[in-house]
Amino acid sequence: MMPAHFIARTKINPLQAAIRFASAVIGPDLSSGSADAPSQQANSGWVAVLCLTVATALLLVVAGHAAGRRDYEVAPLFFWSGVVLLVVPTTLRAAQPMLARGERLFLLFLLAEALFYCKVVYSPTGFIAFDEFLHGIAADDLITARRLFLSNSLLPIGPTYPGLEILAMAIVDLTGLPLFVAGTLLLAILKGTFIGALFLFFESVTGSPRISAIACLAYMGCSTFVIFESMFSYESLGIVLCVLAFAVEAASKDLARRPRLKALGLIALLLASLAVTHHLSAAFAAIYFGALAALEALRRHGRLRTHARTVVGLTALLAIALPLLWVRAHGNTLTGYLGPVVETGFKTLIGKIVGAPTPRSEHLGALTQPVGMRLTTLLAILLLSLGLATGFFRSLAMASPSGARAGWRAIQDILSRNWRDSRIVLLTLLAFGFPVSVAFRLTNAGWEIGNRMGTFVFIAVGLVVAVGVVHFWQGRTPRGWRRIAPAVALTVIVLGGVTTSSLNPIHGRYRVAADQESIEPMGIETARWTKEWLGAGNRFTADRINRLLLASYGRQDARIKIAEGIYSARIFEGEELGPDELYALARSNIDFLLVDLRLSTAPPVLGFYFEPWQPQAGTPISGAELLKFDDIQGITRIYDNGWIIIYDMRGLHGNS
Amino acid sequence: MGIPSNRDLLVACLWAGTTVMVVAVNDSLVLRTALGAPMVFLVSGHAVLRALGVRTASALEHLAYTVGASLAAGIGGGFALNAAGFLTPLGWAVWFWAVTTAAALVAVRRRDAPDLPAWPAPAKLRLWQGAIMMLAVLVATGAYALAVRDEAAYREFKYTEFWILPSANGESGRLTVGIRSAETQAQQFDLEIIVDGQPLAVFRSLTIAPGDTWTRQIPVPVLAVRQRAEARLYRPVDNRLYRSVATLVPPI
Repeated sequence: MMPAHFIARTKINPLQAAIRFASAVIGPDLSSGSADAPSQQANSGWVAVLCLTVATALLLVVAGHAAGRRDYEVAPLFFWSGVVLLVVPTTLRAAQPMLARGERLFLLFLLAEALFYCKVVYSPTGFIAFDEFLHGIAADDLITARRLFLSNSLLPIGPTYPGLEILAMAIVDLTGLPLFVAGTLLLAILKGTFIGALFLFFESVTGSPRISAIACLAYMGCSTFVIFESMFSYESLGIVLCVLAFAVEAASKDLARRPRLKALGLIALLLASLAVTHHLSAAFAAIYFGALAALEALRRHGRLRTHARTVVGLTALLAIALPLLWVRAHGNTLTGYLGPVVETGFKTLIGKIVGAPTPRSEHLGALTQPVGMRLTTLLAILLLSLGLATGFFRSLAMASPSGARAGWRAIQDILSRNWRDSRIVLLTLLAFGFPVSVAFRLTNAGWEIGNRMGTFVFIAVGLVVAVGVVHFWQGRTPRGWRRIAPAVALTVIVLGGVTTSSLNPIHGRYRVAADQESIEPMGIETARWTKEWLGAGNRFTADRINRLLLASYGRQDARIKIAEGIYSARIFEGEELGPDELYALARSNIDFLLVDLRLSTAPPVLGFYFEPWQPQAGTPISGAELLKFDDIQGITRIYDNGWIIIYDMRGLHGNS
Repeated sequence: MGIPSNRDLLVACLWAGTTVMVVAVNDSLVLRTALGAPMVFLVSGHAVLRALGVRTASALEHLAYTVGASLAAGIGGGFALNAAGFLTPLGWAVWFWAVTTAAALVAVRRRDAPDLPAWPAPAKLRLWQGAIMMLAVLVATGAYALAVRDEAAYREFKYTEFWILPSANGESGRLTVGIRSAETQAQQFDLEIIVDGQPLAVFRSLTIAPGDTWTRQIPVPVLAVRQRAEARLYRPVDNRLYRSVATLVPPI
């Protein structure tokens, strides 16, 4: 029989134990981890070996694309082994607790630029993504006409935000480089600047290069980091200007009067540039600075209180007023552009939550990826969630003036509006956007919102996850599993950024209506033929992909509508041209119509041939539908390459 | 420790001035890239940053802010040059020169200009480390070259383009017929041209090699009514109609 005193000591209340355990895991305890090791020299040997590893990985990625083009089965093996070789050693090293600041920074730049390289070698001689074509066409127009604000029928909002095209033009004009090379150079610089600015921002907020580096790695797990933010598209510039403004503001937070006003001058320049570059990034900057000003106003204690509040308030005023003034000056095209996407996305998500009937788009099968990619994505989301759970209260505690050993008192401080730094509080709260963005991504209609939200939300996610990793997972003495497991988790998160970046990141064979997977040399050569033999500027209509090629390589006036209110999809669909459609076509000023017979070989991968808002097609369009123009008097087939046909419509309206 | 002098501003002004001269008189891609790219990304921004008197604590911070200020100067330049109707290569060079010089003058006159941050000491590299890094650069560059070569070499679709146009240069009474091959081997064709059902011209045994383009201008009688001209391409090897294109011949 056991002694009574022994029983009493070992008797544990399970509820209390569970609470204690949960508190230890998710609680605001910062005492178990020291943020930074004593500074030390960068290890050049490691850096050199990692450079060679990354270069070898890039060679494998290139081999993967080459094999993918030929439909070889080894393509995924080459490509993914390249990606793993690229991400794993660099991330494992960068996430180590004892590392020099310079080495961490070098590895972050190396990883970011290598991932950018992976995006560029998908199409190493030309833009390929849908958005890249839209901005490439605008930049080409600007370079040719040497005038801003030219209309862009494929992206009506584009001319209002010409920042990216202006910079591309400056490089082309000063250097004489072709637009693609100039654009790629600009994007490579932007990628490096983004990582540098993000690191500086986190470092100013947390005071720790180790947390900053881990936060940057966690940011790379964002679905838009690898491809979307590396595209020749206005968001790639917008997010850089946005993070730069945050970094300058955060770095100046402890400055006194005049130096802080000087920093405000730079912030004003950045915000003004942002206002004319990208609407969503400008909106996010406005939300961030607005919320920061509100938190500063709410905050009870703080040094330089009045002056700090005034400067933060001024910054918020600039961040909010400049984009609004720009929109007012150039007409509000924003509501028409973003409104329908936001409305449908929210309606669908709410419908799913309350069980209401959902739009037809939701009944189509989701676009599928290989199982390995999906598992990596799921694991990355789980690890991010775990990082957020363990980092949330710790991150808030970092903002508390009570110090590292305050425990839940730190949270009490925050609830009493008593914090050291409003930025940490704001970013921690913004991390709630992560589950919301994941929820949006679960619906077809809301996917776009969830994806775009991620770009901004991951700044907050990066901070909270990094605090969780450093202060809980790595702990005070990061040895054994504490040294390895968090670093492995970060590699999975970065790999998740690659797997979520694209439906199929390996260059494969042509696929029907699949954006970049539908762009190949035959379509490009046909578009070039139109420029060579028909001249530039003819009014063309075609499917979504060929419209892009005609407008970019062919320099044609590619139209989405054949007449006011009549989208071109209407004349392509149906085995016969109805009297209304024929009348509209005859009354239109469309010169040529391009038909791609490859559309009839498979259903559209993305669900639509012409426009995202048309009814989603589960079956392919028929050859008879596409060839019906052969039988119409006044329309002649002037070009045929066996797959692509060009019809001359001018005989229909008497111009020929 | 910072850099106490204004030598950096002098260098920036000289750089900007040289860029203007080179853009005005030289077409060398290498020279213009070597001067123009830093102008867009660094030089003007550095001068603007110094003019604003923004204090930076590290080289990374200074570099990041410099790029940001340069991007802002470039975007501002787009609007200014557009308003002045001077969106040309020379216009850009003059803009960056003007921004750099004006900012440098403001910076020089500043009494409270902060020192530049100290540049970090270069990492000590051993010979084998330097060699490995050079090898890495070579492998990455070579891989890119391979990617470019592979993209140019590989074509998923093999095809023959065939077309007929009313006329190549707008004159009436002529048709332009063309064939271009993107096949893997040379192909032989017979070509027949018919106007309103009547044969107009025939070309036998045209051999088109991969990459070759064959075109002919064919005179056609112009009538008071619109005529339909049709070109038919036959493959003698299997004696079947391979392609058919048509156009309308406008009336007088």
